Amino acid sequence: MDANLLTAYVLIWPAMVLISLLVMSVAVMRDIAVAKKTGEPLV
Amino acid sequence: MRVGSTFLAEQSSIFYQLQLPTVILLLLVFYGGTFLMSMTIRQSKDNVDGYMNATGAVGYGFSAATMTATWVWAASFYAAATSGYKYGLSGPIHYGMWGALMILFIYPFGRRFRALAPEAHTLAEIMHARHGRGSQMILAGSNIVGSVISLMVNFTAAGTLVDILTPLNFSHGVLIAGIGVLSYTLWSGFRASVLTDFAQLVAMMGAAALIIPLVFFSAGGTGIFEEGMARLTAEQASFYSPTAILEQGAPFFVAVLAYAIGNQTIAQRLFAVREDLIKPTFITATVAYAATVIGLGVLGMIALIIGLEPVDGDHNNIIPQMASTYLSPFMIGVFFIMVIGSLSSTADSDLAALSSIVMTDVYGKNIAKGRANPRTMMLVGRVTMIVATALGIAFASLKLDILAALIFVGALWGAIVFPVISSVYSGRVTNQAFMTSVISAVILFTLVRFEFIPLVGFVGTIFEILATIGIGVVLGLMAFGFFGRRVGLAVFVLATVGFMPFTLNFLRDYLTLMSSLTAYSVSTIVCVAVSLMSDEDFDLSLIGERVVAFNDPEQSE
Repeated sequence: MDANLLTAYVLIWPAMVLISLLVMSVAVMRDIAVAKKTGEPLV
Repeated sequence: MRVGSTFLAEQSSIFYQLQLPTVILLLLVFYGGTFLMSMTIRQSKDNVDGYMNATGAVGYGFSAATMTATWVWAASFYAAATSGYKYGLSGPIHYGMWGALMILFIYPFGRRFRALAPEAHTLAEIMHARHGRGSQMILAGSNIVGSVISLMVNFTAAGTLVDILTPLNFSHGVLIAGIGVLSYTLWSGFRASVLTDFAQLVAMMGAAALIIPLVFFSAGGTGIFEEGMARLTAEQASFYSPTAILEQGAPFFVAVLAYAIGNQTIAQRLFAVREDLIKPTFITATVAYAATVIGLGVLGMIALIIGLEPVDGDHNNIIPQMASTYLSPFMIGVFFIMVIGSLSSTADSDLAALSSIVMTDVYGKNIAKGRANPRTMMLVGRVTMIVATALGIAFASLKLDILAALIFVGALWGAIVFPVISSVYSGRVTNQAFMTSVISAVILFTLVRFEFIPLVGFVGTIFEILATIGIGVVLGLMAFGFFGRRVGLAVFVLATVGFMPFTLNFLRDYLTLMSSLTAYSVSTIVCVAVSLMSDEDFDLSLIGERVVAFNDPEQSE
């Protein structure tokens, strides 16, 4: 099997981890902003 | 560029040890930080519903983060790496993908639970409203055993990690993790678990995103494939490995619905997230879990390719060994925090789950019988957390063999899937049908799993037919969750008929898989048959009327 393809197989997962983490972090910041604005408890 | 095998030969198999002051500083920062975070949400007046389910309207970000952090535990890394080491290229996928699908496939049913009982605290509470005490206690009992086992496994992972990478020993690690997790969870319960999960997730996923490429390039990068692929068998070198599917993927796939239904940590998050955000929350957590666990599982595959031999032949040593060999001391500290973060986020969820079950299902429904005092209830929850932590520490320290308990809990969860799901969609399912189906499924599971009857000839064929029906039940329920009754039924029939030619005279060689499938089919057949013998037609709207909040709003103001 092609070595470059296998390299991509190894590296695709940390890339997805970073993207997922970014999405959740932005959403958490938005949750905090909404809670501050409305005065409702965060959790 | 270092080529892995040569480098390994030079390094032998010695674990890197962090300095004691470094370890103390890392643990102080981690547990001190989470404790301080939990103090920011401390309330002067106790609210038992918040202690169990937060606001019931938690936002998308915190919900997705807590679901991911809870479902990724230390064992996920080790087991995924073991799968990669044993089965090669497809191994990490056969662990991580099916674990991720547990999160995905539960959300359609989660929306149903929320619609029926918006103020529910546990799934067992819904079963109490639907059927009464028997079915409730089956669910609650299996949840309690499952969560205590999970606590023990996480504390054991902490002990092992501390023993390997620091000058401290196993008992120190178990104690530090137990006391650390309890300290920040005790006061605010589930709310603290959700809040701190985000910080733990950042530590865990941030570390994973760094460690995977660093280990890969340090071990030789693309070059390892040119030299090392010759070490793999034909199946290990292929993404299609029948052995990996039958030994790892299929049993895990069968457990997808069982673990999701049987685990209170998932149910608790279903009840906590804002109802319209259940779908995006669970889809995000599915992707995040899969990426993290498959990515770390790939380290096991790399270990196989470079020819690493696990210390003492123990596959749980693969990841710490790879980290010790290929990471700088600073990154080993990051790795240490990654594992501590993953096990702590799951352990705090287990504590919150256990306290909810004892508060709701033991005290609220069976001792106070609908007249629960919120203050007593809160005390019950906190005492439960302390007792559960003590049990987790004690079991981890004694290094108990939990395999038998784990097998039975898994079987019980498989046996309850159809009765639980059908009970919230159809008024025809009776309490008698629920109880007899679960009990008969567990009995037949035990006969198959432990080979109490010889699975040869006619008997073997009968159980293979039952197991094949089990395949239809699993796939049919999954299709039903997303596409409704007609598609679910069609998938059930097609899967059962379609798989039959391949499973007869074949499945008997795979007892783990066959016994799990038997539990699904027997519980389904008995539940349907016994229900059809009755004329009962339960009004499902009664569930929402019977499942109510415990807290008196006037008391919490």
